[in-house]
Formats: sequence, C-alpha cells, structure tokens
Amino acid sequence: MDPGALMAAMGPHPASSFQPAVAGEEGYTDAEVMLRVKAGDESAFDYLVQKYRRPLVSFMYRMARNTAAAEDLAQEVFLRVYRSRQTYEASAKFTTWLYRIATNLAVNHARDTRHERPEVTVSLDEPDEETGTTLDVPDSKSTAEEFLVRRERMLAIRAKVEALPERQKLAVIMHKYQQMDYKQIADVLKLSESATKSLLFRAYETLREQLKEFV
Amino acid sequence: MMPDLASGLMEVTPEIRGHLAGCVACAGKMEEFRQTMALLDEWKAPEPSPYFDVRLQARLREEMAKPQAGWLTWFRRPVLAAALTVLLGLGVGLFFTKGGGRYGSADNVVAVIDSTEPGTAVGDLQALEKNHDLYADFDLLDDLEVQHDVVANP
Repeated sequence: MDPGALMAAMGPHPASSFQPAVAGEEGYTDAEVMLRVKAGDESAFDYLVQKYRRPLVSFMYRMARNTAAAEDLAQEVFLRVYRSRQTYEASAKFTTWLYRIATNLAVNHARDTRHERPEVTVSLDEPDEETGTTLDVPDSKSTAEEFLVRRERMLAIRAKVEALPERQKLAVIMHKYQQMDYKQIADVLKLSESATKSLLFRAYETLREQLKEFV
Repeated sequence: MMPDLASGLMEVTPEIRGHLAGCVACAGKMEEFRQTMALLDEWKAPEPSPYFDVRLQARLREEMAKPQAGWLTWFRRPVLAAALTVLLGLGVGLFFTKGGGRYGSADNVVAVIDSTEPGTAVGDLQALEKNHDLYADFDLLDDLEVQHDVVANP
C-alpha cells in the first residue's frame, strides 16, 4: 500500500472516492469494503474510518473515563483494523469484528485504569469530560441550580452504568447507545441471544431501581 | 421485552396494550422503565474532536514507517531472549550431565581421539590387531583357493 496515497485519502475532511451503495442493494457490505482494504484500496479504509469514527468514539467515551482516552482508544481500534487487514476473513459481520476489537481494548483499558479517579472538571466552553455535555452559562431560563442538578444527574447515570458488572455494562452501552440488536450484541459478547436478553433485562432492572431518585 | 417497549424499540401490540390497561403492577413498571430509558438518553457522548483525523493520520504514518516484523524481532524482546537463553542453557546442561547423545560422555570422546593417534602404545597395539586380522584374511583366501580347485576337478 502506498502510504502517500492513504495519507492523501485520510485528510481531516477527506472526500473519499470510495462510495459504496447501501448494503443489500447492488453495492458493498462493510465486510466487502474491508476485503477491498485487504486488496490495497486506501479509499475503502478511509470510508470505514469516516463511517465508524463517531460510533466508536461514543462507545469508547462511555467505556473509558474521559474524552481524550476515548479518542485514543477509537484510533487504536482503527489501527488494529489496519494491521489485521491482510488476515481479515469476511466470515462474520464487519461490525461484530469491529466491536469485538473495541470491546477488548475498552475492557483492558478499564482494568488498567480502575484505580485512577476521573477528573471532575467544570468548563463553560468545552464539553464536560465526565458527562459529555457543554455546560452553558445559566440564563434567565436556566438557573445555576438547575444546571447543577442536571450535572449531578449526568454523573449519577454515568456512575450507575459504570457500576454494572462488566458484561451488563457492555450490553447496555451497545443496546442503548449504539442501537445494536440482541443478535449483534450476542455475537460480540459471544453469548446466546437469550442469554443476552436476560443480561440486558437484569442490567435495566438494576438501573431502574438505582436511578429512581433521579426520574 | 419491557425495556424494549419502554425505549420504543418494540411496537406495543393491542394484546400488550390490553394487558397493561388491566394490570396496574405491569403498567407501573412500564412507566418506570420509560422514565429510566428517558433518563439514560440524557447521557450524551461528545463528537470526535477536529484533531481526531489528524492524530489518526500521524499514528497510521508511524505504523507504516515501522519495519515489517520478522523472526529476528523475537530476539529484541528482553523477556523472550532471557527465557530462550535459560532454555538453551538447560538443554546443554542436560545433554552433558546425563551423558546423552550418540558420542557418550566427554571423557570417552577424548579417549577415542587419543587411541587413534599413531605412535602411541594403544595406537600400535590397534595397528597390530588390524594386521593380525589382515593375515587371518589371507589364510581364509588360501582356503578358498583349495576349495576352488576341488570344484574345478570333481
């Protein structure tokens, strides 16, 4: 693969020449796009990066402790995809493979940093590291008190989801925030579909109980 | 099923609606799930930063600049190199302490080498032994000739 060509395709806002049609029509599935990456098509890799960067950063943000780590981990997922391109086999759905890489990285990162306390910072201009929301200056409609209550609620949601057992947490993040169905989650976690349903029900039941005071 | 219904991921069928209308416990639980799901929706994730692609480019460039991993790279890992050295040492140690191998112990090898050197007592004796064998072979050839004559003149 020519590094120069890939770099050109990977500009900050690249106009990818690879434009696959929607899967199921006459175009390519993601697995087929990945096979093109394997064959040396740089624009195909760029297409996958552009398609999955946002979902992966979002997934990693909810698994890791801050935005910087989330971006680092999401980039690491793409690097691993790139490194594995020669050995890639389209035997499973591309997203299953991608989220399996992401899950392994996120779990390892969580284990490595479990003793680190996340920084609790309040910034008026930038998205909060903890909650991911921009903390607007209170105006006539939104008082400082409302703002603090909202922030406390965000931290509680995060803390309760984070406190779930590892698999439950992963399942909730994939189901609730990545909009993945039971089968996809089951494939990533290597569980049966019924076990995944049961896992998710227990997780939501715990969250319903523990977040009662905030609803 | 209830979390899916509460999130709107599953359609509320007339049958379910009918049950919820008549069952206070289930209706109450469903409402709680709906509120919990709405609360979870408030946890937003940030967009990738504008530097995301630039950093990824840099990391990809580093990745491409790396030399291809060959078998020699194994030796660059200190733990593996140390483990390999220990294993090699153990193997060599076992070979000699057990007297294994097709050549026997080191002493025997030295003795064999010494005995083959000409001019030594053992070497001369071995040469004599070989000569003796040679003379015995000549006798045998003589006998064969006698036998040959017998066959030629029946």
